[in-house]
Amino acid sequence: MSDAGHDDHGHGDQSPFIQHHYDDAQHQFDSGKFGIWIFLAQEVLFFSALFVAYVLYRVHHGEIYSYAHKWLDVKYGAINTAVLIFSSLTAAWAVRAAQKNQKTLLIACLATTIACACGFLCIKYIEYSHKIHEHILFGRYFDPCVSPGGEELLTRKNMCPGSKGSVIWDAGSDKPTEGCFEASKLDLDTKLAGVQADCEVQIVKVDEKGKEQPGGTPVTNQCPDELLTILNGSEAGTGKELVKEAAPKFPCWRPAYQPQVCPDLTTPEQRNHGAGMKSQVGILVEFGDHEEREGIKIKAKCKDASAPKPMDALALSHEKPTEHVGERAIKPVHHISTHEEHEIESLGPPPEHTSMFLTIYFAMTGLHGVHVLVGIFVFIWLLIRAVKGQFTPDYFGPIDFAALYWHIVDLIWIFLFPLLYLIH
Amino acid sequence: MADHADHHDDHDENEISHVASVKTLVGTGGTLLFLTILTVLATKIDFGANINLAIAMVIAVTKATLVILFFMHLRYDRLFHTVVFVSAICAASLFVGFTLMDSSQYQHTNIWTPSEPPAAPIGPRPTG
Amino acid sequence: MATTEAFPESLKSLPQAPVTEPDFLHVSKGWKSWAFTLDHKRIGMMYLFGILFSLLLGGSFALLLRTELWSPGRTIVGPDTYNQFFTLHGAVMVFLVIIPGIPAALGNIIMPIQLGAPDVAFPRLNLASFYLWVSGAILLVLTIPFGGLDTGWTLYTPYSLETHTAVMVATMGVFLLGFSSIFTGLNFLVTIHKFRPQGMGWFQLPLNIWAIYGTAIMQVLATPVLGITVLLLTVERFAHIGIFDPTMGGDPVLFQHFFWFYSHPAVYIMIIPGMGVISELISTYARKPIFGYRFVAYSSLSLALLSFLVWGHHMFVSGQSRLANMVFSALTFTVGIPSAIKVFNWVATLYKGDIRLKTGMLYGLSFLLLFTIGGLTGLFLGILSVDVHLHDTYFVVAHFHYVMMGSTLVAFLGALHHWWPKFTGRMYNESLGRTCAIGVFIGFNTTFLPQFVMGARGMPRRYWDYDPQYQIFHQISTIGAFILGISLFIVVCYLMASFWTGAKAARNPWGGSSLEWQAPTPPTLYNFEKPPIVHELYNYDDLVEVAPDRWERLSDAPEYQGAVPVASGSKEHH
Repeated sequence: MSDAGHDDHGHGDQSPFIQHHYDDAQHQFDSGKFGIWIFLAQEVLFFSALFVAYVLYRVHHGEIYSYAHKWLDVKYGAINTAVLIFSSLTAAWAVRAAQKNQKTLLIACLATTIACACGFLCIKYIEYSHKIHEHILFGRYFDPCVSPGGEELLTRKNMCPGSKGSVIWDAGSDKPTEGCFEASKLDLDTKLAGVQADCEVQIVKVDEKGKEQPGGTPVTNQCPDELLTILNGSEAGTGKELVKEAAPKFPCWRPAYQPQVCPDLTTPEQRNHGAGMKSQVGILVEFGDHEEREGIKIKAKCKDASAPKPMDALALSHEKPTEHVGERAIKPVHHISTHEEHEIESLGPPPEHTSMFLTIYFAMTGLHGVHVLVGIFVFIWLLIRAVKGQFTPDYFGPIDFAALYWHIVDLIWIFLFPLLYLIH
Repeated sequence: MADHADHHDDHDENEISHVASVKTLVGTGGTLLFLTILTVLATKIDFGANINLAIAMVIAVTKATLVILFFMHLRYDRLFHTVVFVSAICAASLFVGFTLMDSSQYQHTNIWTPSEPPAAPIGPRPTG
Repeated sequence: MATTEAFPESLKSLPQAPVTEPDFLHVSKGWKSWAFTLDHKRIGMMYLFGILFSLLLGGSFALLLRTELWSPGRTIVGPDTYNQFFTLHGAVMVFLVIIPGIPAALGNIIMPIQLGAPDVAFPRLNLASFYLWVSGAILLVLTIPFGGLDTGWTLYTPYSLETHTAVMVATMGVFLLGFSSIFTGLNFLVTIHKFRPQGMGWFQLPLNIWAIYGTAIMQVLATPVLGITVLLLTVERFAHIGIFDPTMGGDPVLFQHFFWFYSHPAVYIMIIPGMGVISELISTYARKPIFGYRFVAYSSLSLALLSFLVWGHHMFVSGQSRLANMVFSALTFTVGIPSAIKVFNWVATLYKGDIRLKTGMLYGLSFLLLFTIGGLTGLFLGILSVDVHLHDTYFVVAHFHYVMMGSTLVAFLGALHHWWPKFTGRMYNESLGRTCAIGVFIGFNTTFLPQFVMGARGMPRRYWDYDPQYQIFHQISTIGAFILGISLFIVVCYLMASFWTGAKAARNPWGGSSLEWQAPTPPTLYNFEKPPIVHELYNYDDLVEVAPDRWERLSDAPEYQGAVPVASGSKEHH
């Protein structure tokens, strides 16, 4: 056990990477294997807190999950899952190749694993950049421009690409207001039911401090009724389809209606089913493209605004919900399944605290992505060592252990994918 | 050289550890990809929220088990490594379970208005 | 003068067996040989110096806050500064001293030798752990110039999200310290499994190693949760993700669940290595095997497992549900059982033992009393109805100081004095050692006993100002704190001085029976110059004190056959 007389210079056949305090290659491998399993155990615990948060919010605020998961593209998630599974296969094969002294195969497997991992991160980049663009973000930065159903939403910060939201207009006066007011039907097909608008709309420049510059460009065109159908039918906000149609003159304005959940006066039942909801109305200026515009603000003054008529719940129940895009199901006569209800709800604005889903999404996939990145660096290091021929059948521990780490990364994604992307 | 109490090799004397066969690797990889397609397809049919979740989790756990047993060699490895991994899962489950037990008992926030004070869980209504 | 009847002159002058290799302290020179060392003993010594420095730093904050509490209202500083004092005192002591203390410093130096191994399993990871500790320590100390920290060491939300102090610097430091702890635990687990010599099965392991094993399990399973918790806190502060912020749908009590899921096992990470040390001290200085060895070994393991089940007892008044409160309270009662088993076994070991009151033993005996008090008061706090009154009072402060300081720190000091000759090769001044051990005991009790009383009478913790009825308790407590502080300072001084003025230590100055006492003093680079012989555990039968502070095992050193041991109770020669 001691080292006096211990021959720690390898015999001709022993790898030079066997360290002095180990008896032999088997001892070093067994110790390393045990060590990496302990490390994987702590990785499980490292992610566990995020799973706790996920479970807690899903159990207690399931509506957030049902609504917000549709912002995630299942296609990308599934491709990522397949890519990661394949990379797991190549990592496991790399271990086999090292054990069997198949140097070329080992290098090929390591390189493929790295390539797959990079592919995973590229798809992640695509997903994240779409969300950043549309302000579908976590916490304080949650200000989505489009609902999961594709409807344009009125946002707090007026930073959506291709359109700019504006003043909140209190029907019944010509003064803008910040508050919530009563309106119980949402109809975005053409114009707001019962809301006529005669507005003077201006685009005003603002400097960095938010101070308005004098003089503004008036927007005289009101967007045609067909515009919304086009927008709703296509991928929201790309603008490409618009160009193909008989192009309306851009920029144009339209009343935009965002039923806003006013938390102080609604019960959860009302929130979920739309009765008695308070709403905000504003003016949206459409620019017909997908560009971000900084430094401008929309100002509008509206006349002859007539209040939206509160809809008779009975009258509503005769209408099939699917004919009214974005309508909340209010005790309809025929039974709608939860699935359809959710489909309809996804066309409306987000329920309260939907940002929490995005927080959990970004936290879990972000942490996972960091682990993928670290894995890439580890595998590049292994690739270099493999090219130098440092791995032999009695010394391949680093490949085995890194592959185990990589499998845990895959394992975590195997759970993240259904939990985040495949919610019903 | 000293013999270590925990150190035994029940495989081929020349092998440091078990070598996975190509059949096992490709078979596992293929099954995993198949299960991925399955889980995506399963979302097309709605069985109700809880059953949907259960199906997704069963498939996920199956995939995870395949990865752990075959890609990670736990099937051929010493039992203690399984103990290590399972204890981590147990600790994490404990964490989720107890926290959920606590938060499940939380009641909705009651907004206090003087005319309608919220009911106390036990005892008479508070006045004023 | 020692009376050694019939001690042959020839044997008296027999020198220790010469060691041909240089010891680990002298085998290489220069700062790089220390900064890039892979030797667990050097790494452990570097940890030790860092930890002792942190002890003095954290202790200074303690003396400052105790000075402020001398009188109600402002004594030396205002309330905001006072908040920073107790926060930094707590954070430095918990994360830099008590959690790493025994495992990282003494575990690293001694455990592999006690195991009969040439090194830990992963020496490079060991060095990485050390540098993670250093980086974390630097960040934690950097909070001071960057705005301080006033959230309490527990960093509770929502205040920790809103305060303008340097929370992110502190949380990043804690993150690094967490990984230092995880990697140390990982290293020790693999070492204990894979590096035991022939003849040392699991139930021939010294109890110190069982304790380190139990600790390592907790380090590996619990600390990652601390890592993710402080990471989430950092991200929440920086990017406002909303996970703990109720205005964005988050839950501040969730932070407490996350925090205490780690921090409860953490307190067992703090105490169990201390218990392991006490087993060694009691056994060696009473010259008896530990009574109920298997029970003590199993209790280390069961504490490691049970510690994960009780974290909610820190949250009884946080808004946690009644159901959870009751469940956690009931489980907390079970966690007292393994600790009590250990105390009974140690006391039974002392019974009819041949007790030598060396400095290490004085600390060991202190531990027995102080841990009993600390553990029992912990049980009081675990009773739900009692905790509703005592939570956030000085009763809690006194309880955890009895277990963290009166037990863990005392065990740390005992371990330091017990193994100091082995890894430094020097003897410290025994009279000073014993005096300071008594000084620590008196100072400690003077500081913290009154705190039980005032806590039970309602004095809240972390308060800068208080009702004048508590002043007398605060004043006694402050006086005690200074006695304690001075004693600790003197301890550090005479230990450092021993490098220059201490007598050269024998291979086995205390007559210990475990393998580290067979290594040269100080050990060689790979610990042993000839393979150690595994004897029956805790067998003191053939260990004789052939000269003052020099013991030999007759079966290993037959040249001492026929020697009559130095009579016990002889005066020291220093």
